[in-house]
Amino acid sequence: MGSNASIMLQQEDLQNICQQTGFTAKQVQRLYSRFKTLDKRDCGFLTREDLLCIPEVNINPLGERLIDVIMDDYGENNKINFKQFIFLLAKFRRGRVKSSTTEFNTRDSKLRFLFDMYDRNHDMKIDREELLQVLKMMVGGNIHDDQIATIADHTIGELDSDGDKSITFEEFCKTLERIDADDKMSMKFLS
Amino acid sequence: MYQNKSSIFLILILGLIIHKYYCKEQTYVHNQAKPARFHVAEFNFDHVSDVYAITLWILLGSLAKVGFHLSHRLTEKFPESCLLIILGLIVGALLYITHLAEQKAYVLNSDTFFLFLLPPIILEAGYFMPNRPFFDNLGTILLLAIVNTLFNTLCIGLTLWGFSFTPLYGGTVFDMLPCFVFAALISAVDPVAVLATFTEIHVNDMLYIVVFGESLLNDAVSVVLYRMFDSFAKIGQENLIPTDIILGCLSFFVVALGGVLIGIIFGVVACFTTKFTEHTPVLEPLIILVYAYLAYLTSEMVSVSGILAITFCGMVMKQYVSFNISKKSDATTEYVLKMLSSIMETIIFMFMGLSTVSDHHSWNTGFVLMTLLCCLVYRVIGIAIFANLANCWRLLELTRIDMLIMSYGGLRGAIAFALALILDETKIPRKKEFVTATIAVVFFTVFVQGITIGPLVKCLNVRRKQIEEPTMSAKLTNRMMDHVMTCLEEISGSGGSNSLRDKCRNLDRNYFKRWLLRETPQEKMDIKLLQTFKKINMQSAMKVHDTSKGLVPAPSSSAIHTSASGTNLRPESTFANFSQILAANLPEQTVPDLMFFENHHGAEQYRDDAQMHHFLDTNLYRARPRATIHLRSQDESAGTDGVAHNRFEKSYHHRNHIYIPSRLDKEQIHGRKAGKTSGGTGRSTASKAGSSNITHSHTHSHSPKHHTSSVSKQQNEKLRSASPVSDQKQQQQQQQLSKTRSKSPSLSSDQPIRPSSPTTEMYRPSPPISIRIDNDDDNEILDGTTAAERICPWRRSSIPDAARSTSTSPVNDPSNTTQTASNTNDPNLHPGPLTSANYSGTYHKSPEYLGEYATTTKPEEHLSRPNIRDLFNNQSRIPDEKQENDMETNSDESTTQL
Repeated sequence: MGSNASIMLQQEDLQNICQQTGFTAKQVQRLYSRFKTLDKRDCGFLTREDLLCIPEVNINPLGERLIDVIMDDYGENNKINFKQFIFLLAKFRRGRVKSSTTEFNTRDSKLRFLFDMYDRNHDMKIDREELLQVLKMMVGGNIHDDQIATIADHTIGELDSDGDKSITFEEFCKTLERIDADDKMSMKFLS
Repeated sequence: MYQNKSSIFLILILGLIIHKYYCKEQTYVHNQAKPARFHVAEFNFDHVSDVYAITLWILLGSLAKVGFHLSHRLTEKFPESCLLIILGLIVGALLYITHLAEQKAYVLNSDTFFLFLLPPIILEAGYFMPNRPFFDNLGTILLLAIVNTLFNTLCIGLTLWGFSFTPLYGGTVFDMLPCFVFAALISAVDPVAVLATFTEIHVNDMLYIVVFGESLLNDAVSVVLYRMFDSFAKIGQENLIPTDIILGCLSFFVVALGGVLIGIIFGVVACFTTKFTEHTPVLEPLIILVYAYLAYLTSEMVSVSGILAITFCGMVMKQYVSFNISKKSDATTEYVLKMLSSIMETIIFMFMGLSTVSDHHSWNTGFVLMTLLCCLVYRVIGIAIFANLANCWRLLELTRIDMLIMSYGGLRGAIAFALALILDETKIPRKKEFVTATIAVVFFTVFVQGITIGPLVKCLNVRRKQIEEPTMSAKLTNRMMDHVMTCLEEISGSGGSNSLRDKCRNLDRNYFKRWLLRETPQEKMDIKLLQTFKKINMQSAMKVHDTSKGLVPAPSSSAIHTSASGTNLRPESTFANFSQILAANLPEQTVPDLMFFENHHGAEQYRDDAQMHHFLDTNLYRARPRATIHLRSQDESAGTDGVAHNRFEKSYHHRNHIYIPSRLDKEQIHGRKAGKTSGGTGRSTASKAGSSNITHSHTHSHSPKHHTSSVSKQQNEKLRSASPVSDQKQQQQQQQLSKTRSKSPSLSSDQPIRPSSPTTEMYRPSPPISIRIDNDDDNEILDGTTAAERICPWRRSSIPDAARSTSTSPVNDPSNTTQTASNTNDPNLHPGPLTSANYSGTYHKSPEYLGEYATTTKPEEHLSRPNIRDLFNNQSRIPDEKQENDMETNSDESTTQL
């Protein structure tokens, strides 16, 4: 994972990325220029602050949490370089046909990403505290803690099938079967 | 079914006979020219004839609908619309035979259709429009609605006109402009027909909204084209100058955007009006309906698209009005809309069948077949072209099957028919052919396509709409996906629909909500999530209420008494109050909370909410398995207690913990009881006195509590306007207050105890209550403790539970230790009425309600206390009866929960 993204993208790198992620060359180029725009200091990686500079991310209730996930799970040392960046985004590429799905943008991996948004201690379980944190972020307002706790308890109660007061990944997936997470967790990359 | 049908005919025939008889009667009277005398009874049909006819129509429509749905086999095979058309045909034939059709009152005309029948349907469609899919697919919908309709019109018009040069039409000449007028009215997909058909086949949201949205929005195009060609035809083909055509094209924008604008303006005004209807909630539904109707009429008046206006009016109103108006008004509005649109739809289909039977027909086989063919072929071609075009930018692509259903769902309906009826025969000489062809196309699409689309959808395995109850987890995850995708779209720099939606939402929250809502939502608060939670609670409440035969407290405390006496409760008097009812339903240790409820009998709405909420939280959400375990352990422990327990006492074990706190107390109470039982009649009178006492106390406590709560509400409002800092401070203060207060009375029970061990039976009891039972004559001394009890009575019950549960999670909030501990460990157990009170009504008023419970100690309250003893007496008096009851309800509960 060389952080030499400051120089122009090499041809073989480009091809490599395209092959692995299923992006077209144009899309990669476009994402690369986006990456460069975000990377204001021109050092070949993005930091937490770079991402928080985007106003929409900044005001988004889950913006910081998302950046946490990006930095911890996809980057290293609070940095994310272009390759990691593009592998992250590859998860959300919309596969036009079945054949164009890569290992990255399967439904499972998308759900995994969502799951990771909750599960910050990586024990493959969403426990009550983790859910509470996310709920607090999302519900916002000065709502009493107890109310949020009630919602959290209810949510766990809905999902928890084995009664261990935490949500495993399987439980998480099972209840979300009805939602077209695959469609919703996809976006159109401009080319 | 057949009985119903025959009854419909009977009514109809009766009506006809009456009318005929009347006409004769009147003429007879006139001919005789008798000297005027006073009549005892007068028969004056003319006076009411118009309204009478309308009412009869509505009655006939409703009866028909009711009748059809009595037979499942019929409605499974045939869509309702087909059946209604057939009925309409029959009625039309009857009218035709009896020559009543010439009398205008019985035959609906186009004016009636456009002014009365159509608006409710469209309003309902707009009001219940699924916003999210609609705006997600707006691009596709617009493309199909505008370009596809235009394409269809031009192609159909040209083809029909082109074939008039061939001998296909049997020599009948069709001019170009009339052909285009006809094409304009026949090419538009009809929203009424689409609604009627698609609601029955349950395709997925995306497909439904694409077809339905197209049918709604193409109204602008078809109105413009229809009027343009119509006026062109009036002007005459040779007098046309290019300016006319340019103006015609220009008028499209005026019609479409004007309609949308009028709709939005009226919607916004309606929302703004409901901001001030706090004191006249009865009028709220009416205001909504009237504004929407006014939007429609206004746009018809200035001849822009009324359908667009009322659609958008409904959509705008739905967004904001439901926050403003009361819950009842909301439900009423929705129900009235559904009712109106349902009956109007029925009448429209009947009207189509009815109007078919008339002399205004001229069957031209070539023309009819050609029209049918054109409609089908160009529909398929148009969809194929434009859906593929849309796929270029769509994230979720339309598959071939989707396209097939879309083109197959292009039903024509009553709007086309009504438009054909109002054609001017002097300008368009072939009106009769057009009407006939329109009817043929409408009947073909409604009958053939309408009947076969259901099996086709099944056959092609089209993704169906999943009908399920909303779950919190799904909502939460959906929300999370939205947020994540918005962020990612921004990060990746490819602004997609998510970030657009986010921007709209921010705009909405920052401006529109602020102007249009009575109470501005808090900054950054996700109301939708909370709403979902509330809705789920409501549904669960309804479910519990239904399944437990109405034994559960109804949403308002006054209703509790009525429901208790109104339902199948045999010994009503035994269930004199709330906790008894609840206790019969609850096998778990919730009685402390219920005691709490008792005290707040007849309080305001939010308290009732709190009761309900808490009741649900303790009773629902998989509380059952744990409850049974708990029950067993309790029973065992009780068995070791050495006290003789029969089944009755076991099932009421949780009461024992309160009323018989320790052996000492138990003995005391037993002693009391024994004393009472010694005199049989004396006991019953005592209990009677007790029950009367309860009612007295209720009535006493009603009004002052209302008063205090209203005062505190005012305080709340003041506080709400204060800065959030002070809010939080107050909140903390109150928390601490409540904490200290709650700790003082039940010191012993605050320690974690294992309930299964027999020794804990000694500790479990709460001293304050036992004291209260002993000293209920001079309660005023203990008011402090009782108040504390009222604040957090659940604590005692929750703590042993907490200790029992194996998993212990870290507790964050040091100021709130006990409470969070109980929360963390037991999701079944709601933290208590304290929080549930906060839930009630509006969420953001929360912290202040704590103060209410903490600070208001009402002197009357202790009056309701004696009912504990009374309750106990009742229990002991008729144990068998109650046991039966209890068993019933218990078994009921377990079956529904498990």
